[in-house]
Amino acid sequence: MSGASDGALAGLRVLDLTTHRGALSARLLADMGADVIKVEPPEGESGRRIGPFADDLPDRDRSLFFWFYNLNKRSLTLDLTRRRGAEIIRALARSADVIVESFAPGTLAKLGLGWDELRRGNPALILCSIAPFGQSGPYRDFEADDTIVTAAAGMLYVNGYAGRKPVRPLGLQAYHSAAIYGAIAIMCALLARDRDGLGQWIDLSIQEAAAAAVEHVAGSYFMAKEVEPRRGTLHWSRYFRVGKCRDGYVMHCSLGDWTSLVEWIKADGKAQDLGAPEWEDVLYRKQHAEHLFDVLDQWAAGYSRDDLLERAQTLRLPYASVRPPEALFDDEQLLARGYFAEVEHPELGRKFRYPGAPYIFGGTPWRVYRRPPLLGEHTGEILRDDLGIDPAEIAALAGERVI
Amino acid sequence: MTAAMPLDGVRVLDFTWVVAGPVACRILADHGAEVIKLERKVPGTLGPRRVGLQGDLNRNKRSVAINMGTARGIELARALAARSDIVIDNFSARVMRGWGMDYSSLAGIKPDIICISMSGLGHTGPRASYVSYGPTLQALSGFTAMMRDEDGAPAGYGYSYADMAGGYTGALAALIAIWSRRRTGKGQFVDLSQFEALTSVIGPALLDIGVNRRAQEAPLWRGQEGPSAPHGIYRCRPRIEGDRRDDDRWLAISIRSHAEWERFVAAIGSPPWAADPKFRTMFLRTRNSRELDEHVARWAADQDAEDAMAALQHNRVAAAVVSNGADLCARDPQLQSRGFWPSVRLPDGTVTQVTGVPFKLSRTPGAVRTAAPEIGDDNDYVLGDLLGLSRDQRTALIAEGAVWA
Repeated sequence: MSGASDGALAGLRVLDLTTHRGALSARLLADMGADVIKVEPPEGESGRRIGPFADDLPDRDRSLFFWFYNLNKRSLTLDLTRRRGAEIIRALARSADVIVESFAPGTLAKLGLGWDELRRGNPALILCSIAPFGQSGPYRDFEADDTIVTAAAGMLYVNGYAGRKPVRPLGLQAYHSAAIYGAIAIMCALLARDRDGLGQWIDLSIQEAAAAAVEHVAGSYFMAKEVEPRRGTLHWSRYFRVGKCRDGYVMHCSLGDWTSLVEWIKADGKAQDLGAPEWEDVLYRKQHAEHLFDVLDQWAAGYSRDDLLERAQTLRLPYASVRPPEALFDDEQLLARGYFAEVEHPELGRKFRYPGAPYIFGGTPWRVYRRPPLLGEHTGEILRDDLGIDPAEIAALAGERVI
Repeated sequence: MTAAMPLDGVRVLDFTWVVAGPVACRILADHGAEVIKLERKVPGTLGPRRVGLQGDLNRNKRSVAINMGTARGIELARALAARSDIVIDNFSARVMRGWGMDYSSLAGIKPDIICISMSGLGHTGPRASYVSYGPTLQALSGFTAMMRDEDGAPAGYGYSYADMAGGYTGALAALIAIWSRRRTGKGQFVDLSQFEALTSVIGPALLDIGVNRRAQEAPLWRGQEGPSAPHGIYRCRPRIEGDRRDDDRWLAISIRSHAEWERFVAAIGSPPWAADPKFRTMFLRTRNSRELDEHVARWAADQDAEDAMAALQHNRVAAAVVSNGADLCARDPQLQSRGFWPSVRLPDGTVTQVTGVPFKLSRTPGAVRTAAPEIGDDNDYVLGDLLGLSRDQRTALIAEGAVWA
């Protein structure tokens, strides 16, 4: 399934030691052509145990969670807690450009795989360590999952309604923010290496990445000592709020061509006081957002969400319908742009539609090079081709459960 | 400074506005790129410029106020593009083309230029001309529908996660394109649809739809990383500070293994309910999670959120205060110890704090060097030093309306 090596990152070798917490970082690099080796314990990376599973059959080679985060990688099983396992990592590190890991801080050092050991013999190596609270500070060793980090990062507090319990987003968005930052950090380190040939160690805190993703919270605090409240669906800028319509919900917006919006609502006989000249001032609309959106809600009740969206966009008003994720598979825009990627799983004799590229590069394309690896699928070829380990020793390592 | 910054010598011409584009360019600026923000002089709708979110988004950048509504303004912008490495915009396709600033036009004057267009829905397709903002993209992508309260009504977002997903993806695209150009000598065009960038961060849910044909439900407080119970947030005792009382105090708890459960029970003083056989295994705790949550909620109601977090974490139990803005910016010892809220001195001598760089490169760390400029603060540098225009020529440009003073 390997494509041509026209990816921007072709020629880069990445060892991906992450758990499910950091796996997206290396995938973003693999999509652009880097050779990413997922190093998993013999029982498989933690994400292989997380559902949903293909056809709801729990199996470490059927985790859709693992599939998404590990597309385009190869898999090498290795027990890092064994002396020979750690030796193999040190040997692979000598020719690697990047190592990414997301163990609890200090774990690698205890295995003889600390920063100093890893870069010995390869001063160009880049190590990216992703941890819930980073590699330093009083919370360094605290226990956490995505829920805990979104709480500690201020991301949970601002979701939901005032006076009620905060709610949380779909997906592991603290991890996601951190993982994209991980890929950014690695690229920065690679570009710095271009100057002097030296690598470096990246200390990435998931808490900080998630806090940066709700940047308006800190913005309000440092500007006016204001604590951002929960506002339900009202956006902090006060220009957007969800409203009910005939068959669901729409996203109202008071930015854009106000005159056209008011003309439309007037024609429907539902403008109430919105025709008054003070509403032409965008800052007035911001200040009186609650009343404004209440009037828009009464107006929108007569429309279906798709009808409202199409008519609004025809007038170049930034409206949207509130759709379930399922709607994306029929979205004419995504389909026209070829967003979804067909990925063949020969072991199942089937093809599946994966979410596709987050960007379209004109010269060095994003690609599906290979489906996510089966557990240990490439162990033999990597040990043989990269380290010259002979078949007898590979068999012995397998017998001892090192691989 | 011990080593050069990763993007020293890279110049970015930044046409972006609102949030997503500025986030992307800010990341590049934090790591050494010279980012020149080319903008209109209009009153902002998102607050003052040097502090708060705008201060965050625009720190480390320069600003030039060029009027793209004039032929001379467009000429200046094209001359700047010819002296830049990357041009970034977040307009729909027709805007840059209308100015002769699209990739194919610019490649004619700067063959190795990198153009990154971060439009809402991409440059192609039937909806390429849709007008969008972060919240509308969230609605279209399914994020808004999945942010639900227990009663099923939409309960968010109060912010634009789409702008962050799009912004980070834009920065990553720029870095990869620079890496590629250093190796091939070639620039390229990147068509980044913020809609697609956002859609890409609910991957497992989309695979569940595509493979299993399953309609998605809001996560509420199910463990999203395998079984976990108790798993959720629990209201704590009010926080009293002087004459101020805050009832909105919550503690997040996630118990992911039997060993962690035993540590949790010990840390809260082994209450009798914890010994109930219906909570004996992870399977049972997950199945009886509603009842378990009621017990934990009753326990939490008497706790101070910070003290409870400290006690639980001391026993290696995953717990955290559900931090509000003040917890985050003024009280969190972790973020303070890591210097996550750097101070910036403003031209009037006052000092403000901004969001830091969420990763530390050991040799070439990103940094907040300069405060956000007001619009047009760097007119003299950009028009004089970069484009070589004399003081008289600059004055004339202002007089003819091509540049705002």
